[in-house]
Amino acid sequence: MKKGFQFKGLKFLYVVIIAYVVLFFIENENALLSLQKALGILYQLLPIFLFIIIISALINYFLKPKQIIKHFGKDSGAKGVIYALLAGIISHGPMYAWYGMIQELREQGAKDSLLITFFYARAIKIPMLPFMLGIFGLAFTVILSFYILLFALLQGKVMGWLERE
Amino acid sequence: MKPKKEEQPITAQKAIKKAFLSLVSMMPMLLGVIGLIGIMQTYITPDILSKLFGYNLYADIGTGTLIGAISSGNPAASYIIAEGLLDQGVTLYAVTAFILAWVTLGIVQLPAEASVFGMRFSVYKNLLTLISTMLVAYFTVITLGVFTS
Repeated sequence: MKKGFQFKGLKFLYVVIIAYVVLFFIENENALLSLQKALGILYQLLPIFLFIIIISALINYFLKPKQIIKHFGKDSGAKGVIYALLAGIISHGPMYAWYGMIQELREQGAKDSLLITFFYARAIKIPMLPFMLGIFGLAFTVILSFYILLFALLQGKVMGWLERE
Repeated sequence: MKPKKEEQPITAQKAIKKAFLSLVSMMPMLLGVIGLIGIMQTYITPDILSKLFGYNLYADIGTGTLIGAISSGNPAASYIIAEGLLDQGVTLYAVTAFILAWVTLGIVQLPAEASVFGMRFSVYKNLLTLISTMLVAYFTVITLGVFTS
């Protein structure tokens, strides 16, 4: 049966709305401040949403399930791991903004172990590196980045074992 | 031979529409997470954070990880808070765990994550990330000590 359009996380949104309504009655000022902060975050995310639509559209257009499975699927091998690491490093924006695209890849046959590697490699934020260098120095930044990549690989391995069970 | 359906190219218009609808379907979840982050940022201030550290190495790594996991926002904000924590004498172990957990773990996002990927995947992902984050923080500072001593 073909899956139709369906909103995800509606119940979760209702819970958050109820939390705001309750907060408005208990602590009006903090509720307004929270709403202000949330709107600020939403405003900052708008260009990232556009970026995600463009990337997703390019993937939909250029990559077919067979190609995705070749890079992220069962027989992807070492190449798939490298793709997962690179994709993690270059991806922008908060993790939750990527959920839709990642779930689409899963439905098309992507391996969970590679997605776990992708998610952890996202801890390396290339646009933020100059900022990190300025605060923590070169040695710290290089060592931390090395361990992030190493543990992204290890997590993928462990997830691979768990997937086989 | 006629090509299989999945090998047929889709038009650019269809590709954009599919990408757009995929993001729109996620909107309730995204708005919920953003709303919750707004509340968290109001109630969990940097001043509150600094009062929770200063016990022992392992407790500090655990606290750093936990606080990073319940906080969220731009990574740049975590670096600024981390700099403040270091100035207040919080260990580099704790601060490393904090900035790493900030970008890798998200307690606020957990319900949304489970609703999209399923409970099993979300539990495995977050457990692996939690353990990795604490180990990465520990090994980073140990290695840094070796190179800078």
